Amino acid sequence: MTDQLPSDLAEKAAIMREFGRLRAAGAAIPPELQAKHVNATNDGYATGPEPGQRIPEFTLPDQDGASRSLANLAGPNGLLLVFYRSADW
Amino acid sequence: MLKDFAQQYQIGFPLLSDRDSAVIRSFGILNTNIDPSLRAHGVPHPVQYLVAPDGAILRKYFVPNYQHRVAASEIALREFGIASDAAPSVTLQSGALTVEVGLSADEAFAGQEIGVFAKFALDPGWHVYGSPLPDNFTATSIEFDDPKIARQSFDLPHATPLRFADLGETLPVHSGTFRIIGSLLLKYPLDDGSTTLRGRLRFQQCSDTVCEPPETLAFEIPLTLQPFMVAPPRK
Repeated sequence: MTDQLPSDLAEKAAIMREFGRLRAAGAAIPPELQAKHVNATNDGYATGPEPGQRIPEFTLPDQDGASRSLANLAGPNGLLLVFYRSADW
Repeated sequence: MLKDFAQQYQIGFPLLSDRDSAVIRSFGILNTNIDPSLRAHGVPHPVQYLVAPDGAILRKYFVPNYQHRVAASEIALREFGIASDAAPSVTLQSGALTVEVGLSADEAFAGQEIGVFAKFALDPGWHVYGSPLPDNFTATSIEFDDPKIARQSFDLPHATPLRFADLGETLPVHSGTFRIIGSLLLKYPLDDGSTTLRGRLRFQQCSDTVCEPPETLAFEIPLTLQPFMVAPPRK
């Protein structure tokens, strides 16, 4: 699948690099930069399938290397599926 | 990587690895704003789904700033009426009314959204008011007047219309037991450590024959603000 990349990626990348540089240095993030960073990362955001629809099937390894899918993740009330960035940074 | 992370932060729930973002793409939530030269290339938009055992999505949550999420404890409280055993609450009592006000969890991060509940119990024959109401009555409400809270919202149950023959009026009332569920968005940044969230409850309790004056009960609920944890250095 080819991802459609927006045309202003360079401008967004500059904002994200500056944000990352200040954060890595433990420096305070100016509110304007924080706002620009949130706006750059959220531009044209997509939130995927809607309530009532089914989630796509998936099988992924967990932290112990076990193969996990909906069937072995869901409890009696189902499952809370949280998409996040990375455990590495 | 995930194993170390789970151990370091004592995470008991499964963490799944989507290294090539294939599942993220299949959900249609790949963040295409990230230049391929950045390490964040391939990350998803920060969506949370509450999924039924058969795979149907019950609810979807999206908080625009990926650093802030709806707490799982709030979702458990709102959707299933479940609060953590450790969740703090305070009980207020006045006349015929007892109210337990509590949070969905005893710990939270600055910038996080947490759940709040107020369980009302009225003696038989007594009621409090819903809205809309004429000016000379006070509707039941809860409000946090705490500087640590950025945003708050509450869902009140539907009030039952009750005919007051002597007044010649029909007014919306709550009686017996009922519950208000809400959410609080904490400000960011906040000092970590033990603190309280301050709020007040406003209501007017009446029976068929007596109407008490409007009352305001203040409360403070204990909460521990957790320090942000810094990820361990890359190995």
